[in-house]
Amino acid sequence: MQNAVVSRSEWLKARKDLLAKEKDLTRQKDALNRERLSLPWVKVEKEYVFEGSQGSTSLADLFGSKDQLLIYHFMFGPEWEQGCQSCSMAADSINANLVHLNARDIALAVVSRAPLAKIEAFRGRMGWSFPWFSAFANEFNQDFGVSFTPEQRAGKGYYNFGTGQHPSEEAPGVSAFYKNGAGDVFHTYSSYARGVEGLLGVYSLIDLAPNGRNEDALVYPMAWVRHHDRYQTA
Amino acid sequence: MSTAIMDHEVLTNAKWIEARKELLKKEKELTRQREEVSRLRRELPWEKVEKNYVFDGPCGKETLSDLFGTNSQLIVYHFMFGPEWSEGCPFCSFRADGMDGAEIHLRNHDVTLLAVSRAPYAKIAAFKERMGWKFKWVSSLGSDFNFDYHVSFQKPGQGSADEHARAEGQIEYNYGTMPFFSEEMPGTSVFYKDENGDVFHTYSSYARGGEEQLIAYSYLDLTPKGRNETGPRRDLTGWVKHHDTYETPAAGSCCGGH
Repeated sequence: MQNAVVSRSEWLKARKDLLAKEKDLTRQKDALNRERLSLPWVKVEKEYVFEGSQGSTSLADLFGSKDQLLIYHFMFGPEWEQGCQSCSMAADSINANLVHLNARDIALAVVSRAPLAKIEAFRGRMGWSFPWFSAFANEFNQDFGVSFTPEQRAGKGYYNFGTGQHPSEEAPGVSAFYKNGAGDVFHTYSSYARGVEGLLGVYSLIDLAPNGRNEDALVYPMAWVRHHDRYQTA
Repeated sequence: MSTAIMDHEVLTNAKWIEARKELLKKEKELTRQREEVSRLRRELPWEKVEKNYVFDGPCGKETLSDLFGTNSQLIVYHFMFGPEWSEGCPFCSFRADGMDGAEIHLRNHDVTLLAVSRAPYAKIAAFKERMGWKFKWVSSLGSDFNFDYHVSFQKPGQGSADEHARAEGQIEYNYGTMPFFSEEMPGTSVFYKDENGDVFHTYSSYARGGEEQLIAYSYLDLTPKGRNETGPRRDLTGWVKHHDTYETPAAGSCCGGH
C-alpha cells in the first residue's frame, strides 16, 4: 500500500482539514454523552442472585460501597469450554481500568451464564482478577438481552433493543445501574453489538493505523482476535 | 449527590425502551460518522521521514525503523516524562493502563504499539517496573524526535528549538499556537514502513484527539453520573492518580468491589 507522499506544508493542510472533522465528532460525542445522562431509568424489581468467589450475592450487593455499577456481559455459555475471544480482548483492559473506575465511585463486575467453576478456571488461565459472577441460575442474562433461547434465535429482532440478531446464544453488552440511599436499584443504560466497541481499547488505536481495522477479507470482523495466551507471538 | 440524580425520571421498561431506541439511533449515527472520519484518516497523505532518529531502550540503541519490529505499522504514544522529572505524568499513566492490555492484540494485527518519552531510559525502566506495564517504552533523549513531532517544548526564555517562527512563550501544539504550558505535552504519532524500509509519518493527534484511548472514559461515559469531573479544570486532572497512589486499592475478586 502507498498513499500520496507530500511535503510537510501540504501534509499539514490535509491534516488540519481532518482535524476540523475530528473536533466536530468529539463535540457530537460530548452532546450524545449529555443526552445519555438524561435517559430515564427503570426500577429493578426482580431479585437476582449471582454466584461469585465469595458465595451468593444479590444485584444490590454487586455495588459494594459504590452507588454506580457497570456490568460487562461476557459471552461464556454454560456448555462452553472457554470465554469468548473478543470479550477476552475487552477484558484485557478491565483490570487496569478498575482502580480508576472505583475512584470514580463506580463498581464494575463481569457477568456470564457459565457456571462459576468454569468462570474461575478461565479467569485463572487469563490472569484476570476483576470480580466475575455467574448468572447460571437466574434470568439476568435473558432479562438484559444477552442470552437467547433457540426459539428467540429462530425469529428476528431479538437483540439490541429489537433491532438485530446475533449468531450465538450469548451476546456481548454492557449495562449500567444506580443504587439510591434507600437501596433501590435502577437500570440506567444498556448497550449491545457495536455499542460496546468503545470498550475495546484496541479499536481506538487500530483506527489510527494506516491499514485501519483491515477486516474486510475475514469471515467476521473480529476473526483475527485470539485469547491473549493463544497468539503465536505471545 | 446532585439533586438531578435523586429526582431522575423513572419509567416502566416498555416506555424506557422507546426512549432508549431514540438514543440508539443517535449512537448508531455517531458510529457511522466515526467510521467516515476513520476512512478519511486512512486517505491522508503521508510524509517521508528523512531524519535518522535514534532511541534508547531495552534493546539498546534503535532507530525509528527498528522500532517497527516485524510489523509494517507503528503507533507511538508520546508519554509525558521529561528528562528532569521523577515520574511519568499521571494522566498519561491513566492512558497507559488502558493501552497495556491492547498491545498484544495490536502486535498480532500488524501494529506495533509503544511509548516514547524524553526521560533517560533508566528512569523510564524504573517507572515502568513500578507501574507493572508490559508495553515497550523507549527514550528519545538526545534526538529531535519529540520536538519534531510537537510534544516537547523549550521553556520560554531558553531559546527556540523550533524552526517555525513564533512569539516568545508560544508553542505550536495540535496544529495551532498556544501559550507555553509544559515542556512535555501528550500526543500520538503513527508511522508506516514499506518493503524498501522507507518510513512514512501518516498521522499525529494531540490534546482531546487522544481521548478515545482513555478506555476508562468509555466506561465512565455509560454510567449514570458520566465523567462527573468537578475539579477546577473540569477534566481528568481533578481526579486521576497513578494507579498505585489511590487511597482505595483496586477491587479484587471479592464481592462488589469493596
